[in-house]
Amino acid sequence: MSRRAVIAGVGHTAFGKLPERTSWDLEVEAARAAVADACMSPSEIDGLLTDPGPVQGVLDGITPHFLRLGAQLGLNPNYTGSEILGGAGSVAIVERAALAVEAGLCDACLCVYGDSALSAGSAYTYGRGDESAFGFFGAVGLHALAAQRHIHTYGTRPEHFGEVVVAARAHGVRTPHAQKRRAISMDDYLVSDPVVEPLRRLDCCLVSDGAAAVLVTTEERAADLPCPAISLLGHAQAHSLSTYASPDHFESLPAAHCGPKALAQAGITASDIDVAMLYDCFTIVVLLQLEDYGFCKKGESGSFVEGGRIGPGGTLPVNPSGGLLAEGYGGGMLHVIEAVRQLRGDAGARQVPDAELALVSGHGLGMNTHATLVLGRNV
Amino acid sequence: MSDAAPTPPQPQPDAYTQPFWDACQRQSLEAARCEDCGHCFLPPGPCCPQCWSAELSVCPLSGRGRVYSFGIYRRSYHPGLPAPYVVALVELEEGPRLVSNVVGCMPEDVRIDMPLRVRFEASGEFVLPRFEPAEEEGARR
Repeated sequence: MSRRAVIAGVGHTAFGKLPERTSWDLEVEAARAAVADACMSPSEIDGLLTDPGPVQGVLDGITPHFLRLGAQLGLNPNYTGSEILGGAGSVAIVERAALAVEAGLCDACLCVYGDSALSAGSAYTYGRGDESAFGFFGAVGLHALAAQRHIHTYGTRPEHFGEVVVAARAHGVRTPHAQKRRAISMDDYLVSDPVVEPLRRLDCCLVSDGAAAVLVTTEERAADLPCPAISLLGHAQAHSLSTYASPDHFESLPAAHCGPKALAQAGITASDIDVAMLYDCFTIVVLLQLEDYGFCKKGESGSFVEGGRIGPGGTLPVNPSGGLLAEGYGGGMLHVIEAVRQLRGDAGARQVPDAELALVSGHGLGMNTHATLVLGRNV
Repeated sequence: MSDAAPTPPQPQPDAYTQPFWDACQRQSLEAARCEDCGHCFLPPGPCCPQCWSAELSVCPLSGRGRVYSFGIYRRSYHPGLPAPYVVALVELEEGPRLVSNVVGCMPEDVRIDMPLRVRFEASGEFVLPRFEPAEEEGARR
């Protein structure tokens, strides 16, 4: 027993359109749920880290997000802050919480994501600085550049992108809280409206109101708790901030750097992973990660996903809760939560048999940020 | 027509990028050059992103480049910019990459690696460096 950090509790709200709710009260609900799930007491919480989500974090500029939530929760923690890394933020704050707990900065750190992106509207259509003069808008236009490169370089077909969302929606059918619970066919994908070609509407993730929270504490404290603790076996971040100036910015993700590092720290390789919780803001990001994490060779993700390999019952289940494409936009925190549920054996109809090792990723902003966690059942 | 077309979003120059937009007004394309390592880069800023030197000068650009990647916007994000249009990441022959538009051909005809040349077009108060298809380098001479 040591100060080794574990995940002891998880919780989230409903995801979808919740116009009567504010991100703030959603975050409070998720925070309470995570502490209750751990069977811990609010008085034990002495750390608070937050990921303010796309509307609160990226569009409103720097807001004291942790302060507003911490005040409502009556916390005077030993460690706090907000992380604005776009879609890598949630995974990054869980990593930061684990480091803080292991360093003794705090004993029980609550990590909260929340946003009202759907009710706020147009969260992903913002202009990109001077480039909006050329009509360069939103996350979809940026990821279209990566998709176009993949098609050009490797001959990736529309059906390969389609496989990713068909799998996600099939997973969503088995997830009671998923925002989209209806399966779609490849034909549905192929007739989906183009947004920024080559990306179609169905290549793009959902927009949601909702909040999700994870509680990180010491292995020692978790030993007394009823729920099995989930260990952080490896973690790393890598970022590509130079964007266009970086020669391979649209060819591969920083996952190619932080993925092998996190896996090596856990003493495993990609082929040992039972459940891959891959950040899936766009289908192309899943394809790139399958390559960059080493689940398949560079350029071969299209053929890798054929035949339902990443869908329910596939050899590599990706995002069994449905992910951002079906479960709802949870900033990456829902990915952490699903990994915990799968490793606890607590995922109901979508349980991946004998899941012992999970990889969780977060990816954000202009394909700039990336964070990786390797989680395992605490044995 | 009583209503003029809405003005598209305008660049917001700062002290470092103002010379770039001023050059566009003169139908000229320029980047920043590092006096220490020779790196030619966009957008201009307070230091060279390669060696961090603050000794910078102007790097005149030929206006020739290639499509590095592109997307065809099938929906409009701004009333002043009706769809369809092409946003491309243009790789200039001097090295820097620049987000711009490919004009002068059908969106469906744009290809990665397609040779381009700059075409200056007014947009509100600004002149934007857009790009049009050019003949292959070998065929030009």
